[in-house]
Amino acid sequence: MSEPPASPSEPQGYNGAGQTTRTIATNGRPGASNGSARSGRAKSRPADRIFLGLSTGAAASIMVILAGVALFLIVQSIPAISADWHTSASLNSGPTANQASFWTYVAPLVWGTVFVSALALIMGTPVAIGIALFISHYAPRRVAGVLGYLVDLLAAVPSIVFGLWGILVIRPFLLPLETWLNHNLGWFPLFSGQASATGSTLFAGAVVLAVMILPIITSISREIFLQTPRLHEEAALALGATKWEMIKLSVFPYARSGVVSATLLGLGRALGETMAIALIVSPSLIFSLKILTDGENSQTVAANIALNFPISDTLQRQALIGTGLILFVISLAVNLVARVIVTRTSPGAKGRKAKRDIAQLPPSDPSTVLALDDASRSPVDFLERDGVSKS
Amino acid sequence: MCPFANLFLGVRAHVKPERYTVKLKNVAAVGTLALVTAIALSSCSSPSSTPAPSKTPAVDLSSLTGTLTSGGSSAQANAQAAWTSAFTAQATGVTINYDKSQGSGGGVTNWLSGSYDFAGTDSSLKPDQVTSAETTCGAGGGIDLPVYLSGVAIIFNLPGVTKLNLDSATIAKIFSKKITTWNDPAIVALNSGVTLPAEKITPVVRSDGSGTTANFTTYLSDTQPSLWTYPVSTAWPVTGESAQQGGSGVVSTVAAGKGTIGYADQSSVGTAAKAAIQLGTTGTTFVEYSATGATKAFVDAATTTPTSAKGDLSQTIAYAKITSSGAYPIPLLSYDVICSTFKDAAQAKLAKAYIGFIETATGQAVAAKNAGSAPLPAAILADAQTSLKLVK
Amino acid sequence: MTAPSSTRSSVPRGPIVNSLKSGQLPRFIEGITLGVVLLVSAGVFALIGFSIVGWLVVSAIVYLLAIGIMSSLVENRRKATDRVIRGLVTVAFLLALIPLVSTLLTVIIRGIGVVNWQFITTTTSHVFNPTTLTVTTTTGALQAIVGTLIITGIAALISIPIGILTAIYLVEYALPTQWMARTVTFLVDVMTGIPSIVAGLFAFSLFSLLFGPKAFSGFSAAVALSVLMIPIVVRSSEEMLKLVSMELREASYALGVSKFLTITKVVLPTAIAGLITGVMLAIARVVGETAPIFMAASFTDNFNANPFNGPMQTLPVMAYTGYKFPGNDIQASIDSAWGAALLLIILVVILNLIARIVARVFAPKGLR
Repeated sequence: MSEPPASPSEPQGYNGAGQTTRTIATNGRPGASNGSARSGRAKSRPADRIFLGLSTGAAASIMVILAGVALFLIVQSIPAISADWHTSASLNSGPTANQASFWTYVAPLVWGTVFVSALALIMGTPVAIGIALFISHYAPRRVAGVLGYLVDLLAAVPSIVFGLWGILVIRPFLLPLETWLNHNLGWFPLFSGQASATGSTLFAGAVVLAVMILPIITSISREIFLQTPRLHEEAALALGATKWEMIKLSVFPYARSGVVSATLLGLGRALGETMAIALIVSPSLIFSLKILTDGENSQTVAANIALNFPISDTLQRQALIGTGLILFVISLAVNLVARVIVTRTSPGAKGRKAKRDIAQLPPSDPSTVLALDDASRSPVDFLERDGVSKS
Repeated sequence: MCPFANLFLGVRAHVKPERYTVKLKNVAAVGTLALVTAIALSSCSSPSSTPAPSKTPAVDLSSLTGTLTSGGSSAQANAQAAWTSAFTAQATGVTINYDKSQGSGGGVTNWLSGSYDFAGTDSSLKPDQVTSAETTCGAGGGIDLPVYLSGVAIIFNLPGVTKLNLDSATIAKIFSKKITTWNDPAIVALNSGVTLPAEKITPVVRSDGSGTTANFTTYLSDTQPSLWTYPVSTAWPVTGESAQQGGSGVVSTVAAGKGTIGYADQSSVGTAAKAAIQLGTTGTTFVEYSATGATKAFVDAATTTPTSAKGDLSQTIAYAKITSSGAYPIPLLSYDVICSTFKDAAQAKLAKAYIGFIETATGQAVAAKNAGSAPLPAAILADAQTSLKLVK
Repeated sequence: MTAPSSTRSSVPRGPIVNSLKSGQLPRFIEGITLGVVLLVSAGVFALIGFSIVGWLVVSAIVYLLAIGIMSSLVENRRKATDRVIRGLVTVAFLLALIPLVSTLLTVIIRGIGVVNWQFITTTTSHVFNPTTLTVTTTTGALQAIVGTLIITGIAALISIPIGILTAIYLVEYALPTQWMARTVTFLVDVMTGIPSIVAGLFAFSLFSLLFGPKAFSGFSAAVALSVLMIPIVVRSSEEMLKLVSMELREASYALGVSKFLTITKVVLPTAIAGLITGVMLAIARVVGETAPIFMAASFTDNFNANPFNGPMQTLPVMAYTGYKFPGNDIQASIDSAWGAALLLIILVVILNLIARIVARVFAPKGLR
């Protein structure tokens, strides 16, 4: 505000410098007076104001929707959470039978959900990152686009199809491997117990889950790998690094936090997956580490809701919705953790500074031109939305 | 010649003038009454011989218009589909939506909240549901009407074995993991002449809550209370067995596995091998499922134990009482639940006409033919028609 | 580690100078090794009984070992690692192709026998023969196709404007430090974690609150899908808008163009390809939902094209019910389930192709 108008000859409608840090006062209207941080410095036009209102309204509507869903979950589940599970006739029969309280009911479900999601992540993430690397750094440029499309297609396969495929193909396919693991590595807690004869194991469920989260992790990681400043890569190569060393030294450090958030997005999908797990896994309401047995697989929250919702009466349904609320809280916690990890381990600030440095190199330098070329395609750090504040 | 017809005509003669005085304007109700009677009449002629085409006056049915929204039990879903097409073949102005994905619990919950005109359920209303039905439907509450009779089949997959005899004690032991191999002496004793392999038994059960499971566990605890100590439940109570989603999941897993045994509504088992089950707890008679067997079992074991609602036809099935020759030991019964007083007279008219059609020998024959169910005995159908008359 | 300076400091530690002197494997060694390994293991497997899976797995392992050993003998350890990693990454990619190909093949093989013109253009019909009392059922998918298009279409109409406008708010208007922006970003993340069945229940409860108990309608199912779809649209659009070069915006402002026009004429057209891809992925994601449709739109086999009244069927629901609640003819029901699954995948692929074409048409020249 204190700066003088840029030029007296400027037309009145000149609209400021957008997102640069300079503020240009035109008519003395205080900035951010209408709730927007950046549009207030210029004379606002009706279209601008309407558009600002619309987009703010849209953002606000998200808060309303989520508040509605949260309110719905809480109101619906309170009767079941607060009920006396020992004396309630309804809660003592059917899916909720033999539980001391809501918490003893939900605890094994939470364990099962976290366990199977973790298994899926362990199996899926390395492969997903491998694919992303293959597409971004190994595959010939022309082929890469097609390959990316293929993997995206995997994301478009509906989960019901994955469920049916899991029953028909994956279950019998994995059965010999499961029997082998059980016979030879049965001492290991995960592989212990009576081996399944039907293939409806947690292992099969986790494999299908891993396939389902692959495209999510891959497509985001791929984008981030592609955004590695070319100068970093070329610097590494110029120093005689092999391709893998170049990736280890310049791509991974740059992409680390992005890959972490991609993985956590995949985890979110895995936590909420319903139909595929419900169709494939043969569950029990227990804490179990076993993944190769028929009936000693821990149940997940979402599959438990889908399996028992239809038969349940009102109070049992409320208990199931209560478990849904817990799942909601878990995914909230996962997101919080993701946020913390990303801000803590993020080289974001450093990376941005590095980019600035590049931009300040003389433009005649060919590699700077390349880097700028890259930068102009992706000027804003991918991680910015994750809470790294703009300078 | 046909006592029920006389009964109906009698009732009609009594009721009709009353209706005229009470609801003079409600010609529609009388029309429905006449229709129900007509169906009852037509049904009388049919039960034994090949079912004759329904003599229902087409005018009455075709004058009906509207939509019935319903849902619930998936056990009776195929029968509902058959009834719907048979009914709407004449009542062309009527659309009936039956949501089988809701399950019994979902059906009753939606019906209690007023979303459904009627609900299909595998268990009659529980006491607390009876109370909430009084808020939904008014003082008369809701009534359970038996509509669908079938049986729980024990299916198995054992290479080389096509016939298997089992008694309730062995079934209880197999499904509680006390018998774990096929050549167990208990099974061998029941199957003289059959070579049973030393294969491991893999029991396959339901992972989702189900009326079939409730029926099966009731059978086990009724007949073998000392062996089967698990609760009667819609959710399978024993952990550590292969649990599959839906009857279809059980059937396909039994078919795909080796040494597997499972239970499912007999109408959904397809070509799977079915075990013959011992009649009673002693003796040497083993019965495979048959429609007449299920009907006989119903006659043997079912007694009407009405709730407080007038006209309610909730049944208690005492499985231990099933002893008639040829009766199938594990029958499965499913109900439709409706309000005794509808909020909307038009919906009442539609629901009465539709369920009135189901509760006839013709309706039962349609389901038997197209959904593999067993026809309900004539006595209970007559009771149901009487109950329907109370519905407003 | 990211800054070039640290890169420089850590690399020269290795024997870089030596690598120039050390030997090198011939150029096509990788392809040749792979071929030899495949042939040899095929021969071995032919002796002990052939299995495609075993053959491929063994070949992959043997190849990785062979190339690693050869390279470390002739070249050096660093190059050996590099070659092994290259092999591993390629294996990872091929591994991912297996489920994709297997899923598609399964669905196509099972579904192709069912899907024909009649299946697509007719509604499931039951014909009752009053003489024999038999009901003949002809399965058709028209009601499910129409239901899918209507419900997903409405969900898209609700979600896309809200999603993109929210993304515009987050990227163009709000500072990331502002409480509302932070809250919205966080809430969007939380929204991605809503279990789909809960979304369906929420929509149905909302509508029965508003319109009375018989609230089953395609529209309420569409609202349920929107709850699931909005966060996906917001996230992807946000990323795409951020990719739009700041210089473009600044150039526009410098010319005196208003913010509204800058966004609509500069930012959105630049990002349009990415926006459409994101939206299509979101649609593909919700079009396969089953549970929320049950909850909010109930189930019917009847044709219903009115989204505001009465139950509707969709393709995933048809696939699910066909499998889980088979009719009297069990095989026919399961076949129709696969048919519905195949139609669903075809629909998703068509949507994806349209999106790609639209993106190509609208993308400003020279940017892609």
